[in-house]
Amino acid sequence: MLTLANIDVVYGGVIQVLRSTNLEVRQGQMVVLLGANGAGKSTTMRAISGLLHADHGAVTAGRIMFDGTDITHADPSAIVKSGLVQVLEGRRVLEHLTVHQNLMIGAHLRRDRAGIRADLDKVYQYFPALPELQNRIAGYLSGGEMQMVLIGRALMARPKLLMLDEPSMGLAPILTRQLFETVARIRREEGLTVLLVEQNARSAIAQCDYGYIMDGGRIVLHGSRAQLSSNEDVQEFYLGLSGAEDRTSYRDVKHYRRRKRWLG
Amino acid sequence: MITLIQTLIDGAMVGLVYGLVAISFVVIYRASKIINLAQGEVLVFGAFLLWTFTEGSGYAIPLPIALVLTLIACVVFGAVIERTVFRPLIGQSAFTIFMAGVALLILLRGVAQLVWGAQTRSAPAILPEGAIEFGPFLVNTRLLIGAVFTVCLTQALHLFFTRARVGLRLAAVAEDHTTALSLGVSVRQAIAVAWILGTVVATAAAAVLLSGSILSLGVAVIGFKALPVALLGGLESIRGAPLAGLIVGMFEALAATYLDPITNGAASGLLPYLLMIAVLLIRPYGLFGWQRIERL
Repeated sequence: MLTLANIDVVYGGVIQVLRSTNLEVRQGQMVVLLGANGAGKSTTMRAISGLLHADHGAVTAGRIMFDGTDITHADPSAIVKSGLVQVLEGRRVLEHLTVHQNLMIGAHLRRDRAGIRADLDKVYQYFPALPELQNRIAGYLSGGEMQMVLIGRALMARPKLLMLDEPSMGLAPILTRQLFETVARIRREEGLTVLLVEQNARSAIAQCDYGYIMDGGRIVLHGSRAQLSSNEDVQEFYLGLSGAEDRTSYRDVKHYRRRKRWLG
Repeated sequence: MITLIQTLIDGAMVGLVYGLVAISFVVIYRASKIINLAQGEVLVFGAFLLWTFTEGSGYAIPLPIALVLTLIACVVFGAVIERTVFRPLIGQSAFTIFMAGVALLILLRGVAQLVWGAQTRSAPAILPEGAIEFGPFLVNTRLLIGAVFTVCLTQALHLFFTRARVGLRLAAVAEDHTTALSLGVSVRQAIAVAWILGTVVATAAAAVLLSGSILSLGVAVIGFKALPVALLGGLESIRGAPLAGLIVGMFEALAATYLDPITNGAASGLLPYLLMIAVLLIRPYGLFGWQRIERL
């Protein structure tokens, strides 16, 4: 459904951030993209959505295909229209507008009034807290409420592929769990494909179908959920486990000596 | 007492027209975050265009057609300013844009002189002259129509920005360009629409304000009179502009009636700016503007 083939991204004409990145998301899958800060996850997402331009970045090599069309250099509005919608990181609600307006603007490219109405009801059904908040100014909501608005707003565009950039950032663990549960439910009921960027590896791997791990602007490892969660490196560096049975003692291990194999 | 109320009525009427000009600042600022210093000149340009299609043409063009022609010319004019001056400057520093505004101001003055000459002429009287009597008070018909027009236009624009698809797009662009882009809003298109809308509103203000009076390049000063109104109301607030206009207009009228005889006419000119500074010290985002929401 979505394929990135050998993508290079350069910022400002000199700073290369992505090196020959390959990634594939199949219809109906939940794909997770993991990595430390600065690994290039958000850049990958922005490259897909066509938002690099705003940060003086550009895709200098490779191709991004979505649903059989080349969207490498497409306009952001054309990309959204084709059904690829991103929720940016950092909870960017439209602060001075109401919750209802925030949701309605998600549907600004659509003309089917009845469909929009139905989708709004659906969003309110997935997030039962929102109907009561609909006339509140979005900037004064709590973090969890904002995240609901953001996902609701993305759903209003009726996406085929939803991209979520670190939705759990700054949320309490219980809210994160609820959020992931809701996303899973939406995915089941709407047949939505999801590409998720996360730092919170444990819960992300637990529910994905396939995962990619980025480091230094490259995809260094990828595999199914089972492959990832049994991989030693993933266990050590992302899940905080080393060996299944006994716990790591810092004295024995000399953690800093242990090199990630993929960096070799 | 009668003088006082009459003064307030006059002030309110004029103030609402200031509000109309202020709306044209607000519409442009919301989308592009640019305060167009040359907005007064844009207004005068609009007035000249209207004159061209009515009295200046030499033909007897019926008024409705002349108005439509003016509207079309304004749309083109607004689009040209945006496309040639301000779009290439997207992302440049505020100072660059400020200087571009100054340059545009001088340029428009020059072009207006070249095309229409420097002489003063009478502006087309598209609104009826005269006054309506309410008991002991007199209300200027032209200004009354202008005031009603301002109120209706404000409400219409407010609905446009909160309900309509295109209006919501402009609202999203007003909030944050990156977020708007991620929602599939074409920021460029939105900014162009905002400039066109701003130019049309400014021309409408010119038509109302100047109807039957004198049209000259000096009228552009109205831009600098309306700027404090826009700041006072809040640069993001459509509905704040006419309310701030009311306040400024009434204060100005009061000063003109009661203080000008003592101060040789200086007070009415100063007061709006004093008021603006006072409000900005207390509420930097204006009376109804967008308060920055800080999360701690």
